Amino acid sequence: MAAREPSRHLARALPRAFAPSARPQAFIGRRNASDEAPTRRLSDQLDELESASSLTSKVSDSAAKSFDPVTRAKSRRAQLPRSRYQFRSPKYDRGPLHPHQPPAPSDPSSRLFVPGPFSLPRTEQTYNSTIASDIMTLCYVHTPPGFKPPPKPRNRPLRGPRGGDVLRLLRKPIRFNNIPKIERITIHSYVKQAAQENSSWIHVAGIAIQAISNMRVETFKSKSSVATWSIAPGRDTVAVKAELQGENMHHFLGKLIDVVLPRIKDWQGVKGSSGDSSGNITFGLEPEQVALFPEIEVNYDMYPPKMIPGCHITLHTTAKADKDARLLLSAMGIPFYGKIVQ
Amino acid sequence: MSSGSNGARRIASLLRSSKLDSGVCRSCQETLGRRNYASAATTSATESTPATPEVSSAAPPFPYTINAGVVLSRPPQVTRDLEPFEKAFYFYQKRLNERLALPFTKYFYFKRGTPADEDWKKKIQERRTPARDIGKYNAYASDSWNDELLLGAKEAEPEHQVEMLVQDAESTANATSQDTSKKEEIPRPFSRVTEADKKGDHKSLNRLLSRTLYLLVQSKEGYWKFPSTPVEAKETLREAAERTLSQTAGVNMNTWMVGYHPFGHQVYKNRKAHVDKATGAENHGEKTFFLKSRIMAGQADLSANKDLKDFKWLSKDEIAKYVLPQYYSNIKNMLADR
Repeated sequence: MAAREPSRHLARALPRAFAPSARPQAFIGRRNASDEAPTRRLSDQLDELESASSLTSKVSDSAAKSFDPVTRAKSRRAQLPRSRYQFRSPKYDRGPLHPHQPPAPSDPSSRLFVPGPFSLPRTEQTYNSTIASDIMTLCYVHTPPGFKPPPKPRNRPLRGPRGGDVLRLLRKPIRFNNIPKIERITIHSYVKQAAQENSSWIHVAGIAIQAISNMRVETFKSKSSVATWSIAPGRDTVAVKAELQGENMHHFLGKLIDVVLPRIKDWQGVKGSSGDSSGNITFGLEPEQVALFPEIEVNYDMYPPKMIPGCHITLHTTAKADKDARLLLSAMGIPFYGKIVQ
Repeated sequence: MSSGSNGARRIASLLRSSKLDSGVCRSCQETLGRRNYASAATTSATESTPATPEVSSAAPPFPYTINAGVVLSRPPQVTRDLEPFEKAFYFYQKRLNERLALPFTKYFYFKRGTPADEDWKKKIQERRTPARDIGKYNAYASDSWNDELLLGAKEAEPEHQVEMLVQDAESTANATSQDTSKKEEIPRPFSRVTEADKKGDHKSLNRLLSRTLYLLVQSKEGYWKFPSTPVEAKETLREAAERTLSQTAGVNMNTWMVGYHPFGHQVYKNRKAHVDKATGAENHGEKTFFLKSRIMAGQADLSANKDLKDFKWLSKDEIAKYVLPQYYSNIKNMLADR
């Protein structure tokens, strides 16, 4: 081993040209981009970018008026060739190793693609501009500078959670990043006549819920047995449910708060004891109240008489306690009455 | 927080005899002075007398004037104007939806042979699509690829879409009504630009409906600022803010104070400390703590106030033009963007 290594003395004795170098001296064909002298500065590349948005740039009037894509396409003698490979999303999921994979659901060629959003809902804008900042100011809890929480005793295991078998959600102080907001809305309608009489009840209920929610409904079969209603588990489809999120949810909430609820006669509000103690509030609407929705009202006659269903509406919020959820919903315009249960 | 300031704070706490800090407010000192169970056992052995806020009375008076300020605001009344990109995007999504959705189920909405059905047939012949606000577009034809708007097209403008919906409702009402002699008029939505906007009336609450407006007052010297007055003895910040509001802008307003805590503050330092000749107390400037408030009804009225000249309701960008740059840099982060 030692014999093969060139001696230190030898290297020093030889002239510089013959000394073994750490870098290979031979000609290297490879060139890196970093080797080049900087011929172009970054500002040159930025100059290539258009300074203004294409939406604001000016086009001459004559060019704009003469442009007609349909006549131009029709006047071509030979049509443009179609692209060789027309991509179609696979109909069935054949697993992650199959070469034919579906595109992302946000891709319009996907079978799961849903267009939208189509608007910027008013309730969302009100929440962002007014309600969120007000709730943050209202819920602020001041800890004075220099405040330290009491120290934990060393070497003692953490105490078990308080309360019963069901653990409540941990409510953290409301800061800028956890202001409660409405997450989703569930509209659920249980139609017992669908089991007692015929299935037309469930069809009408589904159509009505679809009309007011702008979403496809899911149907559910009965799970429990109610002898007086002649309901057996798994026999009949008795319930429909629509889950609203995003734009649909905000439009539904706007219609509910500003059109439907104010027109209900002698309606006191949502019961103060409603809520599942983790920030989700539920209330019910009677059939005649559901009929107040503008989508049903516009062709009320087309629904079979007396078949419009009642429904339960659950407002799921990101609040961890009902108190915060009620604060949010009352700011949005939903009144509460009776004893407020926290 | 950097370790340096932590270390400095620790040294300062060692130098100080009491754990009470003269730099924090009275209520916070009480919170800090309150001992928890765990520390109570250890401290009771070493010192027999509990820490009392006597220390603060011995300390020199606070060298700043503490002011309570009110940021009285009117929230936006209408939705904001859409950006050109948003308009184009929403319009494109609407046409895309027409292409991808199942056909409109006409039989569910129109009974055969009714006037409404006849009216529907006429309209679908004209615009080729059930949607009323996307212009003439056939989503199922061979040239449905031509779904982009040409330059200068009005279809994506929200005003145009509203007009189309209203015209459609009007023509339906006229075509289906029994009485053919009189024309139905469907009320248009009110204009988003009000009289006050056109006149440039900065005192009206009806201006700039899509923005948050804030009440600014002008002092005798000509400076614009939010209403503020010094906090009096034995008065909480919230009480002081309520008093400030009624003193400066009168009682002809229905307002709501949002919470009890300030949501912003501003410090003004004098070039030279003002020394009170009688007591020798120094005053370095003033610290203003702002409470948030919303106006529900009414209008500001400065007639009873001798110290203020004028008031204005201004949006955030307008405030920047009126107040001093230093003042604006202190307050800008507590004002809403819209």
